[in-house]
Order: sequence, then C-alpha cells, then structure tokens
Amino acid sequence: MSHSIEFQHIGKTFPGVRALNDINFKAESGKVMALLGENGAGKSTLLKIMSGDLPAYDGTILLDEKPITFDSPYHAITAGISVIYQERQVIPELSVMENLFVGELPTNRFGFVDKAKLREETSRIIDDFEVPFKPDDIVGGLSIANQQMIEIMKAYRRDPKVIAFDEPTAPLAESEIGILFKLILRLKDQGKTILYVSHRLSEIFEIADEIVVLKDGELAKTFKTTETDENELVRTMVGREIGDTYSTLERNGKFGDILLEVDNIVTPYVNNISFTLRKGEILGLAGLVGAGRTEVARAIFGADPVLSGEIRIEGKPVKFQKPKHAIDAGIALCPEDRKEQGLVLYRNITDNTCMPVFDKLTTGVFLDPAKETRLADEAVRKYSIKTPTTDKLVVELSGGNQQKVILGRWTSDEVTPKLLILDEPTKGIDVGTKAEIYQMICDFAKQGMGVILVSSELIEVINLADTIVVMCGGRVTGRLPRKEATEENVLALAMKTDAGEKM
Amino acid sequence: MKNKMKNKDFLKSKMFTLLVLEAALIIIFSIWARSIGNNFLTANTFLNLANSLVVTAFLAIGAGCLLISGEIDLSTAAVGAFGGVIVATAIRYWDLSWPLAVLLTLLLCAAFGAANALLVTRFNFQSFIATLAMASVAKGLMMFASVPPDGDNPIHVSFRSPGLEFVGGGKIGVLPFPVILIAIAFVVYGLLMSKTKFGRRTYMVGGNHRAAWLSGIDPKIILLILFINSSVLGGVSGVLASARAMQGGLQALGSAQFTGLTAAVLGGISFGGGTGGMGGAFVGLLIINTFQTGMQIVNVNAFWSNAFSGLILIAALAMDYFSNRAKTKIGS
Ligand SMILES: Nc1ncnc2c1ncn2[C@@H]1O[C@H](COP(=O)(O)OP(=O)(O)OP(=O)(O)O)[C@@H](O)[C@H]1O
Ligand SMILES: [Mg+2]
Repeated sequence: MSHSIEFQHIGKTFPGVRALNDINFKAESGKVMALLGENGAGKSTLLKIMSGDLPAYDGTILLDEKPITFDSPYHAITAGISVIYQERQVIPELSVMENLFVGELPTNRFGFVDKAKLREETSRIIDDFEVPFKPDDIVGGLSIANQQMIEIMKAYRRDPKVIAFDEPTAPLAESEIGILFKLILRLKDQGKTILYVSHRLSEIFEIADEIVVLKDGELAKTFKTTETDENELVRTMVGREIGDTYSTLERNGKFGDILLEVDNIVTPYVNNISFTLRKGEILGLAGLVGAGRTEVARAIFGADPVLSGEIRIEGKPVKFQKPKHAIDAGIALCPEDRKEQGLVLYRNITDNTCMPVFDKLTTGVFLDPAKETRLADEAVRKYSIKTPTTDKLVVELSGGNQQKVILGRWTSDEVTPKLLILDEPTKGIDVGTKAEIYQMICDFAKQGMGVILVSSELIEVINLADTIVVMCGGRVTGRLPRKEATEENVLALAMKTDAGEKM
Repeated sequence: MKNKMKNKDFLKSKMFTLLVLEAALIIIFSIWARSIGNNFLTANTFLNLANSLVVTAFLAIGAGCLLISGEIDLSTAAVGAFGGVIVATAIRYWDLSWPLAVLLTLLLCAAFGAANALLVTRFNFQSFIATLAMASVAKGLMMFASVPPDGDNPIHVSFRSPGLEFVGGGKIGVLPFPVILIAIAFVVYGLLMSKTKFGRRTYMVGGNHRAAWLSGIDPKIILLILFINSSVLGGVSGVLASARAMQGGLQALGSAQFTGLTAAVLGGISFGGGTGGMGGAFVGLLIINTFQTGMQIVNVNAFWSNAFSGLILIAALAMDYFSNRAKTKIGS
C-alpha cells in the first residue's frame, strides 16, 4: 500500500504568535521525512494539526491525495494518522496493556474487557520491540525511557498509514534508540509515511530521506539527505554558522578548593557513591539509563534520603532533610523530567522562574511585580526563550523553551549557586541554543561554580566535563579525567556490572 | 514584556462571565418579582443578601484557599457547628467572658485543622476522606459538649452576651458589623492569595507540588497553615451563627458546607488546584445568595431553591471539568 500526506498553505496563529505560516510540502510513502528547526519554529504545532489536536487552522491537508479535516484526535487516529507527542501522554496508574489499548480495549461476548486477549496482543507487541517489561506492569513504575517506548508502541499498534515522531529519542538511551530505528526502517519497508522531528542531526542523517527545515513558522527549505550536510542544515535553521561547538568553547583552566565531597553514601537507590568536586570544575556523571545518576543528584539535593555515608560542602558535613535546605546552602538542581518535576505548567513564565526566590522579590509584605518581571525578562533574554510576554503560561511554550525556563530559574541574578546540578539540561534544545548553553556552563565554572552534569548524550559529557564519573547499576564503576575519556572507555565502564562486588 | 491585552482578556475572563451571570440574575428576579407584585430592587433586599452571606462567606474563603492548594476540607461546617456550640456553652455554663469564649473556641477549631493536616501530609490520607471523618468527630464532640450539667440532650444551647450580640447583629452606621467583617476578610485574603509569597506558593503547590518542593517550597507547611485556617474560619462562621441567634444550635450551618464549596468552584477555583482566586469566590458566593434571596422574594418554595442550588453546583463542576479538558489539550 502506498500512502502520502500533503500540507497545503498550512497556517496557525496563537495569541501573539504566528506559529505556522503558509507551509507546503508532501511526505511520500516509504520515506522518512525529517522536520528540523529551532525551538519554537512550529514543528510540534504542525504535528498537532495533523493529529487533530488543533482543529482550527488555515490551509488544507491531503491524506492519500484526498482532502481531510479532523475534528478530534479520535478522527485522525481512525483515518490512519498516529502522532507520538513530545511530552508523554501515558496514564501512569494503568498497566502497560491498558495503556497500549486505551480507548479500544478488546471485549469478550459479555462486554467485559478480554484480559487474556489483551495480554496476548500486548506480549506480541512487546516481543516486536524487545523491551524489558511485561503486559501487567504499572506504567508509572517504569523508567521515563520505557514510558516513551510505550508511547511509540501505542502508535505502532494502531497500524497507521502515517506516523509522526516528535523528538522520540530525547529520553531514550542508545540501546533503545537502536530498537526504534530498526522499527522505523521496518515501517518504511511496509510503505508507511513517516515524519520525524529531532534536534540531533546525526540521527537525521542516519534515518531521514528528506529534510524540511522550518524557521519562525515558515518553511525555509527542503533537502534530500544525500545532497546536504550538517553545516548547511544548521545555517538554514539558525541563520548563521555554528562551527564545531566543542572545540571553540572557552573552558575554565583553574580549579579552586574542594567544594563537594560525596563520601560513600547509600540511598534507597544507589550504593557506596564517592567522588569529589572542586570549585570551577565540571563533573560529568555518565552511565546508561537506570544507572542511578539522577538518584545521586537527588541525594545531594536533599530530595532522596541518605541512609549512610556523608556529604560535605566546603569541608562541612551537611544533612539536608529537603531541597529547601540544599537551596539555602547554595545548591541548585535542574531536574530531568520537566513536566513532572520541573514546571508548574499552568502558571506563567514569571512565576516559574521566580519560584525558588519569592523571598527576595518582595517590597514590604507583598511580592513586587517589577522585580518578578525583571528576573523573568532576564531569563528570557539569557536563554532566548521564544515568547511574546513573560505572562505566557508555560504549557503554551514549545518543549525546548520550557526546558529553558528551568535553566533560567536556577541561574539568575538572584540564584547564584555554588553547586549547580544539571540533569539532562539540553533535552529538547536546538543546536544553536545548545552551543550557547555549553558556553554558559563553562562560564559558570569560570566564576568558581562547581557543576555536576548528567546527560544521556555521551559526547556532551565527554566534551564538557573535566572529570567523568561513570556509574552502572547504582554504583560508581570508574572515574576518568578528561584526557582519557573516550566513548569506548566510558561505555566499557558503564557496562561493567560486577564492579560493586569487591566493596 | 507586559501584558498588552488587559481589556480584551477581561472580556474573555471567567470573572466577566460571572459578573454577567450576577447581573442577569438581578434582572430576572426584578422582572419576576414585579410580575407577582413584589419588589426586588430595594435596599432591604440588599441588606438581606448581605446578611445571608455572613455565615457562608468565611467557609467559602477557607474552602477556596485550600482548593487552590489542591486539597479539600469537608469538615468546616461541622467544625463550625462545634464551635458555635462551644462558644455558647463556654459563656453559659463555664462562665467565660465572651472574648475568652471566642478565643477558646477558635483554638479548639484550629486543633481540628491541625489534625486534618497531619492525616493528609504525614499519613497520606486523601483530604476528602480525612476531613469527612473529621466532620464526624466534630459532630460527636459537639453533642458531648452541648449536654448541660443539669439536663438531657438539647437541640441548642442559648446564652446571653451583649458583646457577642453586637458582633452578630450590631450596626456601624447602616452596615451590620458582620458584613463589615466579611468585606475586610475578602480584601485581606484576596491580597494574601494574590500578592504575597505565601499565596503564590500556594498556587505553585496546587499546580505541581513536586516541582514546588524541588524549588524549595514545602507543601507540608503550606497545607498545615491552610487546613488550620480553614477550620478556624469554620469556627468564625459558627461563632457568628451563634452570635446572631444567641444560641449554639446543633443543626447550625446545615447546608453551608455545600454553599461555601459551590461558591469557590463557581468562582473559578478548580478542584484540580492552582487556579482561581478570592475575587471569583466572592462573586460566586454573591451569585448563589442572590439566587436564594431572589427565590424567597418571588415566593418559591425553599425546597425548590435547594434543588436549584444543587443544580448550580453541578453546572459549576461541569464548567470546571470542560475547561480542564480544554486545558489538557494544549500540551506541548
Ligand atoms: N497552546 C499554545 N498557545 C499559545 N502558543 C502556543 C501554543 N502551542 C504552541 N505555541 C507557540 O507556537 C510556537 C511554535 O511552537 P511549537 O511547539 O510548534 O515549536 P517546536 O518547533 O515544536 O519547538 P521545540 O523544538 O522547542 O519543541 C511557539 O512560539 C509556541 O510558544
Ligand atoms: Mg516541539
């Protein structure tokens, strides 16, 4: 079967923003078409239009050459279009199989849910995907990466004609990305039409046949993957050259006194973790998904209990009962999961940036709107958050811009931490801004801040960190200085499962 | 980067819808009353209206603040009735002066709030279950407290106290004292929730308590304060009800729980937490009471008036539900 989806003169306006303007292109059967563009360029908006989530738009969509309109997501799904959103939509309270078949649970002849059939069909999909969970597992207990895999499985199960992925790999590790790419190739062979959004150019060169670049809501240019290169794409997307992000970084050369000592700590999630961090040093925590990196960050921040061992800041032992205490001691943590742990989605940018420092933004007993706005404006400027006003609700920002709000919150004039812990700070952030954020991290180090960087993108850790601590299965398996940190070295340590035995 | 579209936003806001609704009610009742030979638009009506707000206003404020934080308190009316009986008993049988009696009452009410907070924050009870249980406890204790030394179970405890009589029904100029109290309370709580750190933190906790906690806000402390606040305001309602009747009635504040919550939800404070405000709660309260006062003036049976109040709550909840659904659609 051959399928296609064509966009004609698509436009969409939100209050104060023209998110899309006169978009025309056609995605054909058996091809992967990548959508590329800066944060806020309109990629997710386009996908939401074709998923029926944003019914009011200009222009026409043709599915298999015939005009089609959607009143609701249900409409789009039955027409054969599946979109995997940037933000997870799984229902954490339900099991894997219920999530996969939500809305279309198979029933037996008495009208009850046919659990046996449900379990069987789910097992079949799980086999296809080679994932390590079972039909009856509760989704809320799975890792973010596995939850993302469930999103993808949900779309796959419906056997759609057109399938669109919005930054599917942001929360995934290498192994899962491998599975996903195999799957995409299979879908391609079956003649599906595939749209693929990602900020990772290497992925796009690996998987895409054609590339559409969006800029400020307009279609900037269309490329064949074989006829272009990274530089050209970046130039089209950002409007300027970025060059080699890492080699042009101005790094901090000199470290100060010891800032943080983690001495053999044990929490419910990690075991015998030890390392030290100096002022001005960037320490990368590397490891596979589930290695316990986030849990180490949370323990230092007082968000998880420390059962034994000791944490010392500038030589003084500390015991934080809750994050507030850590914040008061000069520690900041940008959490990995922006929707669950980072943002108050239905409050505006101002509130979300000012949240930890309301104390400093008052005049008399009242909060001072001028001070609040100043702080939020600073964040918007520093991280080039794309928004018409700081009054905009965070939920209305694009994914990457939401991420920037969290960074803005923890690195403003009012919050200058001694120790900055960044957990997946560049998740969903475009190449241009990424380069700026890397430089900012180096600048923080130059100011004497200690930085702990957790990232699933290995090259990011290898290139930014002065020291890399590698973890596996809740333990530290190695420690590499920057000179010795190659991908092979780090990966070898990240998979060294027997490391803890001798302790 | 200031908000440029203030006026246009207002026309689209919930507040505007509510004000239109209130105006519509006034017009409808004026015409209706005229048609049966009564008059709605009189000073008397408005005084009645203001008086009818007295008991429920404090419940609406307490309920509203808690709803913003994402929790609910179903015990306030029972705690209020308890307070109403305690203040009466304290004056009549324990020979306390009225200010002391009121103070004691509010302290005892605060204890209920603290207990609610403990159940919710420490033992992870759902707040509606914890507070429903607490309502029973309050009712039981009230019956116990109302048994006089020399008799069997009464249905009310009457007392004399000129001071408290003034609090319940005295006038300053033309305005009844409790109405002034309410006006002050709405202004104070309005400022508290919209302009102070505490209020803003409450919204953040209601919106996403995990994110708030990781940003140095302690939801437990916020909830402790709000549960105590809600119980104490329940106590204030009970004391006012007793002060107006000069007796602590065991059936006092019967449907007030319901009215208080309806007002808050109708005014745009969502059950999900993190939205709405005191202004909305006030207009919500005004709408319900306009409705009930109007129904009296056009001589509709109280029975119908109650049934319609229930329908208003359903309508308010439906609005809440649909606007929430519309919101979840935005997603990133
Ligand atoms: N519900 C909404 N209300 C108002 N504005 C919105 C809404 N959704 C998106 N926008 C705006 O539309 C623009 C495009 O957003 P979109 O989410 O499509 O960007 P994107 O290309 O997916 O970016 P990212 O790479 O960060 O995910 C942004 O400026 C965003 O703020
Ligand atoms: Mg997006």
